[in-house]
Amino acid sequence: MIVCPHCKEVNMTGAIFCAECGAQMKDKDSQVTQRNIMNNSSDDQYLPFGGSNAWGSLHLLDTGQVLPLAVRNEFTIGRISEGQPIMPDIDLSTSQAFAAGVSRLHAVIRREGARIIIMDLGSANGTYVNGKRISPNVEQSIHHGDIVALGKMKIQILVNNNQGK
Amino acid sequence: MSSSKPDYYEILGILRDASQEEIKRAYFGAAQRLHPDKNVAAGETELFLDTQQAYEVLSNPTRRKLYDATLLPEIEVNRVVKHEVSFSRPNLVQLGEPQLVYALLEAGPREQKTKTKLVSPPLNLCLILDRSTSMQGDKFDIVKATAIQLLHSLRPQDVLSIVAFSDFAEVIVPASLDRDKKKHEGRIQMMQVSGATEIYSGLEAGVKEIRRTLDPQRVNHIILLTDGKTYGDEGACLKLAEEAAAQNIGITGMGIGHEWNDVFLDALAAKTGGSSAYISKPRDIERLLVDKFKTLISTYADDVLLEFKEQEHIKINYAFRLQPEGGSVEVESPIHLGPILQETSLQVLFEFLVGPGMLDGDTVTLLDGFMKTLITARPIPVPPIRLKLTRKIMQNSSTAPPPPQILNALSLLNLYRMQERARTAADAGQYDEAVRHLQNLATHLLSQGKRSLAKTALFEADNLEKKHAWSLAGNKDIKYSTRALLLSGAKEKAG
Repeated sequence: MIVCPHCKEVNMTGAIFCAECGAQMKDKDSQVTQRNIMNNSSDDQYLPFGGSNAWGSLHLLDTGQVLPLAVRNEFTIGRISEGQPIMPDIDLSTSQAFAAGVSRLHAVIRREGARIIIMDLGSANGTYVNGKRISPNVEQSIHHGDIVALGKMKIQILVNNNQGK
Repeated sequence: MSSSKPDYYEILGILRDASQEEIKRAYFGAAQRLHPDKNVAAGETELFLDTQQAYEVLSNPTRRKLYDATLLPEIEVNRVVKHEVSFSRPNLVQLGEPQLVYALLEAGPREQKTKTKLVSPPLNLCLILDRSTSMQGDKFDIVKATAIQLLHSLRPQDVLSIVAFSDFAEVIVPASLDRDKKKHEGRIQMMQVSGATEIYSGLEAGVKEIRRTLDPQRVNHIILLTDGKTYGDEGACLKLAEEAAAQNIGITGMGIGHEWNDVFLDALAAKTGGSSAYISKPRDIERLLVDKFKTLISTYADDVLLEFKEQEHIKINYAFRLQPEGGSVEVESPIHLGPILQETSLQVLFEFLVGPGMLDGDTVTLLDGFMKTLITARPIPVPPIRLKLTRKIMQNSSTAPPPPQILNALSLLNLYRMQERARTAADAGQYDEAVRHLQNLATHLLSQGKRSLAKTALFEADNLEKKHAWSLAGNKDIKYSTRALLLSGAKEKAG
């Protein structure tokens, strides 16, 4: 017997997809599911990546990736997990978010005029600004160069001041 | 084996350990096809003489023994069809409980040495059209127009017959090579709607027509187009489909609108290795029929028949054909797996349920049998391919992930199976479970960005919860849309 990691349904040994919820039994980050999500997410969902006039960006320190923040003023950050209809605006699941302890809906980053605000959305492993844990559901100002950690995932906040005004 | 000397077993299309009974049957089959009174192509009389010689030798046990002694050891390579099997797990484990293992079977034409293009086979096609009262209007006009279009797109070597049915059947265009298109077109135009849907009457007349020009070197195929449910004659229809399948006549079912019985049409087509299609809007009729016509003229093998002996403690839990045409496949021997196309190989996924009783030895045989392929353009039968699927039994399970092709196949099939589970639960009156499955399906659809289909699934979940019934179109929409997703996914990966 094997237990589905997602819904805890007991499946027969050898099962690859859960008979109850349809989640993949193991190898969560396997190619297939990843590709499905990556391929299809563009078809009717807004993607924050690739905007040219970004007001800021997230610099993922572990991978060196830079994700621009553009068009909208508010982004939820988290990771898409198979079998859950939670769609954060910025999905970190490709960047080892699960291993780093990022919640599915971890935090929200928002711009209010020149001010940049981060708020933890009640995540399991907490949000840290420059090493200090912030209280959940309380807005916290952040600035250019600050290091925000979602669980163990460290992200440097880069603010584009020309756009911010 | 030397190529100059004919292999009698290959000529008759049998295995070397064939019984006298099998030899006899193979000979009679070949003799009927190749007899000088009947054969048409040049060189077939020589083939007939070869079969006769083969039979004379093999039917006599003493001569057979002498002949066998001259044979070189059998080469396990089939020269016409190649096949490949992959498994989800390298080995099974000793367990006191049932376990699952998946196998993906792929069969396709072996690369020809000469680069000549494969010949497109002639058709013996029968259209069986529902003309019950409910077909009135748009639907029937488009059906007529498409039938006429099909009539004109035939090649000189093709045979097309058309049967219309309601409570009774009428042959509109009889099966023959005579091509008085004007007359036939007029007959099609004259068709009127009336009466109720009685599929058996139509199917019977259709099978009769197709049998008149039955020819193993043609693709013999029936397309049944209906918009209604048939009452009380399902059993007779299935039996007739089985008989048709034995003569290598394929059946495709096409259902229009919401009323028809998709489970029945699927089962009917599956008897012959065919599949069913859902036509939600009348204007899709034309596209589907024309696509089907194109598929038929690119047939390489009409059908692959899998025969096997049942293994103790092993059950085929589930089988699904992923390509060329997605569709359910029966799980009991003999299984009509479906056709192989010139460009597209056949892919079938099996789920085996292995009971605990079987795991004492060090290997387990999942399936032991052979595949028979009937290739349309080939007068000599193809030798059957032995198919023996075994797995080793070990103490510990392997940690290796399943091979990507299996993972792909299963992930494509995943949504379709969730939909099936919801239906099974709803049919059994377990609405809570059905609702849960549909909601799970919706979450997966959402995470893949298929919002409108997810919405349909949620809408149906709501319907089931409140009214304990599906909406008129809902379950078919979900079934055939998830099936379409699966097929487009398969194509993407292939291309």
